Amino acid sequence: MSLQTAEQNLLEESVAEAGEPSAKPVKIGIRNVGKVFQIRGSDRPFTAVQDVSLDVREGEFLTLVGPSGCGKSTLLDLIAGLTSPTSGELLIDGTPIDGPGLDRGIVFQQYALFPWRTALANIEFGLEAKAVPKRERRERARHYLDLVGLDGFEHRYPHELSGGMRQRVAIARSLAFDPDVLLMDEPFAALDAQTRESLQEELLRIWEKTNKTIVFITHGIDEAVYLGQRVAVMTSRPGRIKRVLDIAFDSREGDLRADPRFGEYRHHIWTLLRDEVAAAQEQERTIG
Amino acid sequence: MADETTLTAAREEAGEAKPAAAPSAAPRGDAPTDDDRATNFFKVAGRRRTPVASRLATVVKRSLALVLLAGLWEVLPRVGAVDAVFVPPLSEILVAWYDMLLAGQLPEHFQASLIRSLSGFGLAIVLAIPLGLAIGWYRPVADFLSPVLELFRNTSAVALLPVFILIFGLGETSKIVFVFYACAWPILLNTVSGVKTVEPLLIKSARSMGLGPVRLFQKVILPAAVPTIFTGIRLAGAYSILVLIFAEMVGAKAGLGYLIQDAQFSFRIPDMYAGIITISALGLLFNLLLLSVERRFSTWRTS
Repeated sequence: MSLQTAEQNLLEESVAEAGEPSAKPVKIGIRNVGKVFQIRGSDRPFTAVQDVSLDVREGEFLTLVGPSGCGKSTLLDLIAGLTSPTSGELLIDGTPIDGPGLDRGIVFQQYALFPWRTALANIEFGLEAKAVPKRERRERARHYLDLVGLDGFEHRYPHELSGGMRQRVAIARSLAFDPDVLLMDEPFAALDAQTRESLQEELLRIWEKTNKTIVFITHGIDEAVYLGQRVAVMTSRPGRIKRVLDIAFDSREGDLRADPRFGEYRHHIWTLLRDEVAAAQEQERTIG
Repeated sequence: MADETTLTAAREEAGEAKPAAAPSAAPRGDAPTDDDRATNFFKVAGRRRTPVASRLATVVKRSLALVLLAGLWEVLPRVGAVDAVFVPPLSEILVAWYDMLLAGQLPEHFQASLIRSLSGFGLAIVLAIPLGLAIGWYRPVADFLSPVLELFRNTSAVALLPVFILIFGLGETSKIVFVFYACAWPILLNTVSGVKTVEPLLIKSARSMGLGPVRLFQKVILPAAVPTIFTGIRLAGAYSILVLIFAEMVGAKAGLGYLIQDAQFSFRIPDMYAGIITISALGLLFNLLLLSVERRFSTWRTS
């Protein structure tokens, strides 16, 4: 790490000590964003998200929960710049998002690793796009493979790795090109409970180490409360932000899930979601 | 959070030892995670060697049917179960084969066939792959060419042979064009489908990393399509010999197809079978060669 980033880290730490995290600048600004799709063979437009406004601050860990089909992934695609909004605007560092870029990294639920590349070569992918020289590429890829606890697995192909290991490689790949923002679309949903828990812990550790801004989509309430500093609850389709909750524990030491406040948060979100899930199921019935 | 401790814990989890409980860790069971299991699995797989005996058993099992066929071919004509004039014993055929080899007859015909099929096959690879990539990748090209392609792919190559002979004469050109035509289809269609069936998530993932269309094609579409393209190439390899023999039977002065036809006309039955065996061997060899090239190009595949 360069001197400059070390200084920056120090600076950020002092800011964090001085004030609340909300004092940090807005990293991602979502202003009255809507996305309407034209469905083929139907003249009725499909509204995925509607009038979403949300600010994500620098270095924040925000989780996004909502019933299935509520447009969570659409919202993530919008932030990633993979699609553009039909109304409203999205800003990153105050400038409108205009297409995808290496300042944002995405981690998908299905890993999206390139099967013809080894773990190391997969991690190098984004660095190649960034035109990092080969030597440095290799070095950095190894560093991030270490960071996710996979040293020794450099030359394995994705099909030779377990689900948890593949997701570690995917996370390392997104971290390797050093984006400011990490967008994660239900990254641990396909993993077994144990692997999921250990990856959640590691993600928190990596987040603390790297000061990334993380937007994490999940349908798991526990996961949202465990990981997020704030939890944004979405409504059923068309997706809007129903409520944003601050998650604050006195201490994150020990078994967080056993903390009585964990249960309270969990219940609160569950209540918020219950009506939405029912509405979403009703929608599915009437459409299907 | 204690970074150092959790960092090593994570390393160990992916390696062998169980992590010592990290101070901030949530409860984590003692059962191995799927990462642990995978690690152990690879260790076992890495150490295990197939014993010579079991490999030998496989060879025997695999060649048993072939040996049996050869035995029947030898015995049945000799005991008079089949007419030895029309189906001579295998040994006689092998002798005829050896004689033709020494006389230089076989190498001459073999060479003629090989040059024709390799030329047509090579031409098909060189032309059909780029065309297939263009059709698969550029929608306008696909829309423009699809109707014509649909028409031609349903026109049998064999039906077009007279046309090729009319246009290119009875010489080498018409045969090479004929082989090329037959080989181009499997390669073209597989290349198109290889490009079109690239996992959309991979494209999305690459796009999210800011890849433009050119690099996306070079770094994602092409490598992802390689296995499917190879399936087409292997099919074409088989076709190249198959259709050539037909062309050589219709009108040629050399080649294995001509040899077989000529031997039959002049009632040199063992020579005819020798020609047929040579073709089978050639086809087999071709396929094995292409398979090994394919393996080199797609070591990453699961199967």
